[in-house]
Amino acid sequence: MDIVLGITTKDAVIIATSKAAVRGISILKVTDDKTRQLSDNSLMAFTGEAGDTVQFAELIQANARLYSMRNGVDLSPTAISNFTRNELANALRSRKPFQVNVLIAGFDKKTNKSSLNWIDYLAANVSLPYAAHGYASYYTLSLLDRHHKKDMNLEEGLELLKACIAELQKRIPFDFKGVYVKIVDKDGVRDLDDIE
Amino acid sequence: MGSRRYDSRTTIFSPEGRLYQVEYALEAISHAGTAIGILASDGIVLAAERKVTSKLLEQDTSAEKMYILNDSTVCAVAGITSDASILVNSARVQAQRYLRTYGQEIPCEQLVRQLSDIKQGYTQHGGLRPFGVSFIYAGWDDERGFQLYQSNPSGNYSGWKATSMGANNTSASTLLKQDFKDDANLEDSCELAIKVLSKTMDNANLSSEKLEFATVGLDTNGKVYHKIWKPSDIDALLKKTGLVKEEEDEDKTD
Amino acid sequence: MSNPQEINGGAAVAMVGKDCVAIACDLRMGSSALGVSNDFEKIFNYGNVYLGLTGLATDVLTLSDVFKFKTNLYKMREERAIEPQTFANLVSSTLYEKRFGPYFVGPIVAGINSVDNKPFICGFDLIGCIDFAKDFIVSGTASDQLYGMCESLWEPGLEADDLFETISQALLNGLDRDALSGWGAVVYIITKEKVVKRLLKTRQD
Repeated sequence: MDIVLGITTKDAVIIATSKAAVRGISILKVTDDKTRQLSDNSLMAFTGEAGDTVQFAELIQANARLYSMRNGVDLSPTAISNFTRNELANALRSRKPFQVNVLIAGFDKKTNKSSLNWIDYLAANVSLPYAAHGYASYYTLSLLDRHHKKDMNLEEGLELLKACIAELQKRIPFDFKGVYVKIVDKDGVRDLDDIE
Repeated sequence: MGSRRYDSRTTIFSPEGRLYQVEYALEAISHAGTAIGILASDGIVLAAERKVTSKLLEQDTSAEKMYILNDSTVCAVAGITSDASILVNSARVQAQRYLRTYGQEIPCEQLVRQLSDIKQGYTQHGGLRPFGVSFIYAGWDDERGFQLYQSNPSGNYSGWKATSMGANNTSASTLLKQDFKDDANLEDSCELAIKVLSKTMDNANLSSEKLEFATVGLDTNGKVYHKIWKPSDIDALLKKTGLVKEEEDEDKTD
Repeated sequence: MSNPQEINGGAAVAMVGKDCVAIACDLRMGSSALGVSNDFEKIFNYGNVYLGLTGLATDVLTLSDVFKFKTNLYKMREERAIEPQTFANLVSSTLYEKRFGPYFVGPIVAGINSVDNKPFICGFDLIGCIDFAKDFIVSGTASDQLYGMCESLWEPGLEADDLFETISQALLNGLDRDALSGWGAVVYIITKEKVVKRLLKTRQD
């Protein structure tokens, strides 16, 4: 089961995704990046059916880029979330739905606010202060409920993330090979060094 | 004139490189009632002349040259009204489609471009005549604030600080060029609009029957609003500017 | 998980009073037993009409957007806002359009007709059959509990303040006996002069 976590802080969003690509009883890859950058200031993290996930993420990525080229401005993170939800909702009632759950992290330069949207394969879209998909949510949400503060700075957010990862490493019954950590803020999207 | 051989089809250039049908459409518009738009520091005003053809004509309560396109855009029309209503309807649907897809209002220029693209299509795909309408659009979006655009039957559009279309639009433009001030507010711009129209209209007797007004602005919460004026609002403005009196006096001296 | 109407949970209720109507809903959005959001409002406003949408969250969002689309166009065409009765028929036909692949929702409508100033409420099943009511309408995963609460608390001719108390108590106590609803609530009290929105604090479990 893939791990996808998102935590908003005062002016950034932290995204953590597990590095292991698992299929059946095997780990196929230990450097799997389950994110795609959608625009300068937004990032999508995804889990779900193998194949569907990357196809879907890159479909949204391509559409976001096409919009930027056509109109000379980037879509805001909330607009991208809405668009993504609509794509999933339309697919849901098609011949073959996308079985993809995503988090969309963004920083809106117009309003100077960070945002995190939780969208499942049914295309339910909610904006949340912190979010997770799959089994990871059962292990981490209670920790986040207890320790997350609205106006946390980035350092405090990363401390909280470390606590979540530690809990996952302790309780999840297999090795997910650590996580990639990415920060979305006013300067764009950047990688962070691995968290042990 | 050599136009006869080339003007029946919209899609064929004449040897001089002209599209006659498009030019005829533009010609049709230049006989329509004048409409002007002025960009102010805190809003936009659109004003238009309504040509009353007969006393027996049922005066529609709703405006016939001003259309709301969405919550942040209004437009003024010059030309064939029935053509305009087709385009207005498709603009409204496009605006709502964008709102549903992205959860945000469509940026002003995108709406203008989508409409202009439809117009352009009729200058290139054969068998049909172009839309005989020009529009002046007044809109606001959070990217670029207040914006004023004009589009014509060829499918070209451009952004303006003040612009005009319809009958006497050249003299209206000259007047606007003379009196436009970059820092004028909406109130002053409304007065300028009425002053310009008072000089371009054939019949110098200004009244709310012959005028239509629309404004776009921001309310106290910083939210965009638009308003198509009621006859009473226009009468109040006419009274304030004192143009009604002056015009009547001039008429008598003439 | 098998019934789409019960995946995300949520409940809504509407009531008629004397020259007023009230509509209320909870704020939970979950994924089966797991709570996901405590800020998921299920009441949407279209001019002077209020629509409560319970059921599958994706369809709640889709339909609220669809009705925004349709009422915005209606408002521009008619140059007036839509009336509750008209809106109820719009909801009905929109749902029936998807008769053989329905939206998994339980809509309720509340509003005051601006022509005759009469209160109006109604509810629907997922394919658009309208349930006109003179008293109250319930919807969502707590609908059984809400029926019981409304049946015992509601009485005819309630003034706005009393109606607020009645609908709040009915909703709050209904929610407490449903594991899939709760996590906060909102109430709208609608009179022809004004609309008051109140947030209710509830237990957070």
